[in-house]
Amino acid sequence: MIDPASTTPAPLGPAAGARPAGTGPGGTGAGGPGAAGTREQIDAAIAERRRRRERRERRVYRAIRIGSLVVVLAAWQWYGMHSISIIFDPITTVLAALGHLWTQGGLPGAIWYSLWTFVLGYLSGLIAGVVIGMCVGAYQKAEAAVGLYLQALYATPMVAVVPLLSIWFGFGVLTQELIIALFVLFPSVVTVSYGVRNLDADLLEVARSLRMSRMNLWRHVLIPGTVPYIAAGAAQGVAMGLVGMFIAEIFTQLSGLGNLLQTAAQTYHTDQALAVIVVIMTLGVLLRALITVVQRKVAPWAK
Amino acid sequence: MAEQAGARAGVTAAGSEPAAGAAGPAAAGGGRIECESVYKWFPGGIVLEDVSLAVDSGQFVCIVGPSGCGKTTLLRMMAGLAEPDHGRVTIGGSTVTGPDPRVAVVFQHFGLFPWKSVYRNVALPLQLAKVARDELDSRVTEALRAVGLAGHERKFPAQLSGGMKQRAGLARALAAAPDVLLMDEPFAAVDAQVREVLQEDLLALRDRLRQTIVFITHSIDEAITLGDRILVMDARPGRVVRDITVPIEQPRTISQVRHHPAYAGLRDEIWGQLRQSAIDRAGDQ
Repeated sequence: MIDPASTTPAPLGPAAGARPAGTGPGGTGAGGPGAAGTREQIDAAIAERRRRRERRERRVYRAIRIGSLVVVLAAWQWYGMHSISIIFDPITTVLAALGHLWTQGGLPGAIWYSLWTFVLGYLSGLIAGVVIGMCVGAYQKAEAAVGLYLQALYATPMVAVVPLLSIWFGFGVLTQELIIALFVLFPSVVTVSYGVRNLDADLLEVARSLRMSRMNLWRHVLIPGTVPYIAAGAAQGVAMGLVGMFIAEIFTQLSGLGNLLQTAAQTYHTDQALAVIVVIMTLGVLLRALITVVQRKVAPWAK
Repeated sequence: MAEQAGARAGVTAAGSEPAAGAAGPAAAGGGRIECESVYKWFPGGIVLEDVSLAVDSGQFVCIVGPSGCGKTTLLRMMAGLAEPDHGRVTIGGSTVTGPDPRVAVVFQHFGLFPWKSVYRNVALPLQLAKVARDELDSRVTEALRAVGLAGHERKFPAQLSGGMKQRAGLARALAAAPDVLLMDEPFAAVDAQVREVLQEDLLALRDRLRQTIVFITHSIDEAITLGDRILVMDARPGRVVRDITVPIEQPRTISQVRHHPAYAGLRDEIWGQLRQSAIDRAGDQ
């Protein structure tokens, strides 16, 4: 990856020139203004060299990424043009379908609907998951009381309970929200309770030696210590929640992206179906990126 | 390296000022520690057998001994983090029944909260004690200056070297202005050279501290360098086998200690005491 021929010559210039002077006073920094100057020059040259190398590496990776994108899109286009349009469509047709859906197919409305259903279900699932996970992780009695059910439900594919939910709550928005919330709930419960249980025992001992009250223990130790796990649960929840959202929409046939996809597929509008999938993909990527940004803001100490 | 040099300069420069809130109770005898025939059993066997000792207020005692001799358990009992199965531990005349505000602990692995800045870590005991903000600020600042961490207040533990982390751990203990400072192998997790710098700084700081200090270590040299008195413990069962007064005057420096006529003799005496069990353990492996 690193090209030795191009790495060496240029940046060495100033550093090589400065070196003899720098070694004279022993590099202690106390050898007068001249020595300090050369020292700085060497540091600057080294920093400059590193920056150049990083820039070059970044350029290489970007080129690979763009190249791979071009290859994949070209392959898509080529395969689409040589296949029956019910089976697969070239990217140009898909983009046209995307435009059509946007202007006449109610795509903006579907995105809006799906998004807020998702946000509502996701947040309620996540909040419930964090609270339950914290309690189960922190209190052995809570874990003894409900741990078994949580594990059983975690092991059950959530899709299995979807028909039941619709029997109980009908085919309305409530059912959709519940499905999304359930999809988000279990991974976050598991991640968060694991996080609480795996808090550094040394820190708990410090908390004890400082005679922290239960409330202060939560405030200063348990909650901040679990934030990285909450963030991990939240990120995992996005992926799971999107799955839940789709299943809910396809199943309840209400509206939203899932419904749009279902309709397109049932009427053999493959181009439109592909267009919806592209939208969903973009949505998923954006939501995950958003979570990462929030995570960095809330818990800068966590990697 | 440059940071450490700067930190050391900070400690010596501040040397003439009074220590952070240390004036008061310790001088009045509140820091006296007594253990009266303390026993402790763990499932694997007996950890401490009939340990009795007294540490005078303001004394700097090092406890040295092999792993498994129960020295950490003894310290945890003084800190109120463990209970003796028999006997009792008293501090300032009252029996220890749990963590006590007059006692502060410096932990081997620093025990800093990664999500709190250095300032907030050091301020935590005062915050929990609901100390008013102005006083809190001046005590935290003073403690940080005393350990040579002024200017690092806003950093997070992950941004600090091992030596600086333990300085922060010490500052947190000092800020609470305890009568007793319990240090559990505080320098064991840093490399040998940093360790020596920290020892130097603790010696320099020591003049200004009036706390009773119990300092646990594996290292015979460290014990001689720092302690007014050394308790030598042996394992299986854990007990105090020697009580040695270090005849090297305070204040002292590491180099003064190394060149002191009593140094080699002390070292031999302690090593002679621990050698057999060290050989046994070396053979076990």
